[in-house]
Amino acid sequence: MARREALTFYLLISPWLVGLLLFVLGPMVASLVFSFTKWDLLSPAQFVGLDNYEKLFSRDPLFWQSLKVTVLYTVAYVPLELAGGLVLALLMNQPLRGIGLFRTIYYLPSVLPGVAFVVLWMWILHPDVGLINTLLSYVGIEGPRWLVDPDWALPALLMMSLWGLGRSMVIYLASLQGIPQQLYEAASIDGAGRWQSFWRITLPMLTPTIFFNLVLSIISTFQTFTSAFVATNGGPLDSTLFYVLYIFRQAFEYFNMGYASALAWVLFVIILVLTLLVVRTSDRWVYYEGERR
Amino acid sequence: MKRFATAASLLIVLALFISACGPTPEPQIIEKQVTVVVESVITATPEPKEPPAEGAKMILRVGTGDSGEGLNPHQEIIARFEEANPDILVQLEAVAGRDYYTRLLTQIAANDAPDIMQIGDDAVPMFVDAGAFLPLDDFITGDYPLDTSIYLPGVLEPGQWDGQQWLMPKDFTPLGVYYNKAIFDEYGVEYPQDGWTWDDLLETAQALTKDTDGDGRTDLWGIQLTANWTTGFEYWIAAAGGRLISEDGTQFVGYMDSPETVAALQFYADLYNEYQVAPPPADFNLWAGGNAEFDNGQAAMRIFGRWPQAGLRENPNVDLGVVGVPAGEERANILFWGGFGIFSGTKHPEAAWRFLKFYTGEEGSEVWKDWAIPPVASVAEEAGLTEDPIEGVWIAELDHLVPRAYVFTPYWGETADPALRKALETVLIDPDADPAEVLATAAQEAQAALDEKLAE
Repeated sequence: MARREALTFYLLISPWLVGLLLFVLGPMVASLVFSFTKWDLLSPAQFVGLDNYEKLFSRDPLFWQSLKVTVLYTVAYVPLELAGGLVLALLMNQPLRGIGLFRTIYYLPSVLPGVAFVVLWMWILHPDVGLINTLLSYVGIEGPRWLVDPDWALPALLMMSLWGLGRSMVIYLASLQGIPQQLYEAASIDGAGRWQSFWRITLPMLTPTIFFNLVLSIISTFQTFTSAFVATNGGPLDSTLFYVLYIFRQAFEYFNMGYASALAWVLFVIILVLTLLVVRTSDRWVYYEGERR
Repeated sequence: MKRFATAASLLIVLALFISACGPTPEPQIIEKQVTVVVESVITATPEPKEPPAEGAKMILRVGTGDSGEGLNPHQEIIARFEEANPDILVQLEAVAGRDYYTRLLTQIAANDAPDIMQIGDDAVPMFVDAGAFLPLDDFITGDYPLDTSIYLPGVLEPGQWDGQQWLMPKDFTPLGVYYNKAIFDEYGVEYPQDGWTWDDLLETAQALTKDTDGDGRTDLWGIQLTANWTTGFEYWIAAAGGRLISEDGTQFVGYMDSPETVAALQFYADLYNEYQVAPPPADFNLWAGGNAEFDNGQAAMRIFGRWPQAGLRENPNVDLGVVGVPAGEERANILFWGGFGIFSGTKHPEAAWRFLKFYTGEEGSEVWKDWAIPPVASVAEEAGLTEDPIEGVWIAELDHLVPRAYVFTPYWGETADPALRKALETVLIDPDADPAEVLATAAQEAQAALDEKLAE
């Protein structure tokens, strides 16, 4: 019986399992192997040992530049997304008429395809005729030249991405609505105000969601690509050269597949370590319902 | 145990997520009229009217990176070819955008590439070096000979490498200067004439840079330039009498930072910063296409290739004229080019050559002449293009071509291109930057990258 059940189990998950082996683990292992080679896709790959990794750490200023840009961006974006998404979700959780419409409006940018989204923002950010600088000029401010200015290009991309807050908002919203109402009722009977309810009930009950959003946000922010690829091509002066954009260049513009694979694996390890760090610290600040302390 | 399970499931989710978020190459943005070319695979061949007996026809596959309207001439030529050659069926495989090369490379690696492949100029050395193409010299003199003297000057060379012909010309454009006659007429400035110089350019541009409403901001610009577009900048270097790399393809230092190159950058930057006759760049992405001043009737001239010409002719803001590029120390121009070659793994080399000869020879040019400048001189002449006040300019510019830097090194895109782009951005962002210093830095960066590649 148990054997039959096990068999059924494996049978039922087999589509997923086969997919994982063929399309995820297989290519991952392959790219690990490629990372020790020099390979241009056309001529056979040559084994070069640790050369790619050595070059990357010791002789490639663009590796460090792209890492710097990506880390800077992540450090700025992740907290903004976590906090901004939460604030939006709290607003969208108000029992107002037509709140569904607002939720839709705020979520809408997240479903736009990346390129369309970025092209739209390129016009908004246009230094001479763009919406932002036109509005700024009405109040007497000469706006920066955004995507053309090495000091402003990264903040401009940050602003652009924050338009997609809806993604984390929706997750917060779902979990906000899952908080049992009786907790608030009990608290209000005990004399808790709205502020106290927020700090003592809402926030702790949301920590699993914050944790989830934090992990997801770190992973996806480290892989920022589309905005820089379309709007700035990594410039000006490499100020928006994101790590994944650099991998893309090495792989599909210079056809250094081995080197690109090495870059990708370094990124994988960085993301892995960061995620594990978050997971490690999580039992100090994430509360699960019914968990005993 | 529970913690282990959490960590393990998290790892799996992580792996999935990372793999799911990998960079799918995005469609390329061409020009700037926000034409986002949607990535697509089209196999478009009109089915033959009477299917022939099974196995009687040979199937040729043709790979192209063109899309949309750009496919029309391909399809027309293919239809004519199939009519003339009932034993061959041609299948067009179009993959638009930056994905095209990636796809070709994987197909070549799997020995499953199209029999005939389209490649852009600066990709020729890499693909040929990698053995992706058959040499054409034996075909050109073989059973289906092709007279190579029928071509316009300069259009065969980009398909040559190591002394052999590998690709045949599909379409091409040099640079030219568009000008808006309406603006010239309004301010009584003479149209630019062929044979003009950088001094003339500056003078004309200055005469047409105006603050029309007196608010202290320029409303009409002399000439719209191409910001940090490196390949376009090669014209300025060539016209200043410079070059980017040594003849043997090993030295950037001494070339990229030579007095001639510095003079080119100085003049280019001065047009922006010192004389302020060029609208400041609106973006620095691929083709630096963010400036729309010429299209909007707010710039009198624009230097660019033939690509947007059809749109400009219909643009109500523009009364279009075209003139050759101005001469600096030298009268020079550069060519942008796409061509077709035969896949080295093809099973039908002879049929592929027959198609290639048809396509890039007179028959194909007869179709091409309605879409672009056809490569065959007599076809262009008979269609009246050589005498045409606009098309004739592009053809005449072919007499002044100098080779671009990619001809001397297959590593151009990886070594000097990023360094030169940074140099251009530096002088455009910081008016006080010294072009000599900027180029010295760029040359050293490019050299270091090149030395690294050559040592591999």
